[in-house]
Amino acid sequence: MIDFVLPSLGADMDLAKLNCWLVKPGDTVHKGQIIAEVETDKAVLEVECWDEGVVEELVLAPGPTRLPVGTLLALIRPLEGAQPRPSPKAPAVAEAVTAQPIHRAPRHEVPSPPVRHLAHQLGVDTARVAGSGPAGEVTREDVRRAAEPVIGLEQRVKASPLARRLARETGVDLGIVPASGLAGLVTAKDVRAMEQVTPAPPDLPVETTEPEGRSETMRRAIARSMAHSKREIPHYYLANHIDLDRALRWLTAQNEERPISGRILPAALLLKATALALRETPDLNGRWVDDGFRPSDAIHLGVAISLREGGLVAPAIHDADRLSLEEMMASLRDLVNRARSWRLRSSEMSDPTITVTNLGERGVETAFPVIIPPQVAIVGFGRVVDMPVAIDGQPAVHPVVHATLAGDHRVTDGHRGGLFLDALDRLLQEPEAL
Amino acid sequence: MNKEQARQTIFEVLGEIAPEVDPATVDDSSDLTEQLDLDSMDYLNWMLGINQATGVEIPQRDVSRFLTIDGAVEYLVSHSG
Repeated sequence: MIDFVLPSLGADMDLAKLNCWLVKPGDTVHKGQIIAEVETDKAVLEVECWDEGVVEELVLAPGPTRLPVGTLLALIRPLEGAQPRPSPKAPAVAEAVTAQPIHRAPRHEVPSPPVRHLAHQLGVDTARVAGSGPAGEVTREDVRRAAEPVIGLEQRVKASPLARRLARETGVDLGIVPASGLAGLVTAKDVRAMEQVTPAPPDLPVETTEPEGRSETMRRAIARSMAHSKREIPHYYLANHIDLDRALRWLTAQNEERPISGRILPAALLLKATALALRETPDLNGRWVDDGFRPSDAIHLGVAISLREGGLVAPAIHDADRLSLEEMMASLRDLVNRARSWRLRSSEMSDPTITVTNLGERGVETAFPVIIPPQVAIVGFGRVVDMPVAIDGQPAVHPVVHATLAGDHRVTDGHRGGLFLDALDRLLQEPEAL
Repeated sequence: MNKEQARQTIFEVLGEIAPEVDPATVDDSSDLTEQLDLDSMDYLNWMLGINQATGVEIPQRDVSRFLTIDGAVEYLVSHSG
């Protein structure tokens, strides 16, 4: 029998409430399938299962109790012939954040980065997919086919953030609302229509105070994490002006050819360049664990996303250096939209290897960000401003961004940080190669 | 599409992105992103939502026409069938 425990949920998030189960006893579960929703101080998270089997027992029912990371939630009977992972022991709360192994599918060699990315997005383990490509290579189509039963089982409701909020406030079950939006999206209008047809019974528990409470608890969680960072991490700061004239001209020309749905924001360009620059300076990418630096081969770029209710989250875009610009934009859009409708996944919160914050969106020219433990660096971008620059000895006015790096002196020094900013600048001068 | 229909569609889409916005408090002639604290992803999603709701294409060169509610209304009225 496999123990399904509350997984690691990211730095300084060691307690969570079980909001609901998305499976029932007897259901077959697949690797990467979202099977529960939990709520921490910072976010509502979808929790993936990284084992394959049949749900034997749901040990805990949803409720308001805050459970420590490592709490046994369910028992899963492995499928015949499947090799269950060794069950992690439930660690004590105090050591939960670092002691709990991160639940991720083991890494396998896969034919190409795009296929690997798609597999990651759809929660498919490519090692278990029969390839139909040349020499048995796993193709995108194979991955999509393999994901179909997973998607079918989840029966997730797609809804806009406002629709979700209205549904929560009025007690309307999103699962029974006929969707009128594109691609089956439930809109606020749909929820209002349903509310008029089926008014909520008077005894239905409606969480009217939740947004205020969540905002306060999120602020406390951010404060804990940042106090930890400022106490433990000897920060150094570096900054560079980067001329974006070529990059933005190129991007504008690209976007002229694209419909709105395919347009790429400058933020995607900056993220891609950051991920590629990190390949050249790998000692900025990883985690500080047990008094030592553990570099990461994979570049999981945390993206700071501010929430309209206040506060922020910084979930990861996985394997960011391997994504095309289009895939980066699609991932960014998906992540921002899900963060703002409280639909993030536990793996996205637990495993960023570095974070990028783009405060330029709010008009700030220069950001001096604080490293998010256990990461060892954070990159900041300010507002793009028109500035005088010297081109071949002649003055010109170009769009320029102020890029900053906060590094951890326990791992790197200013020289390495400077090499990163240099690489970032160089990569952004050749946007067509990104 | 007349002005009233265009304005209603614009605010319906905006309500999905910035639920707290009260249309009555929005200044139709001033910069929307500053007024409502929209970032570039919100802004892109807003234009995409308008495009999907009305079928009106918004080429990149016309994006600046959507900086204000007045500009967006005018664009939709003149470009819808």
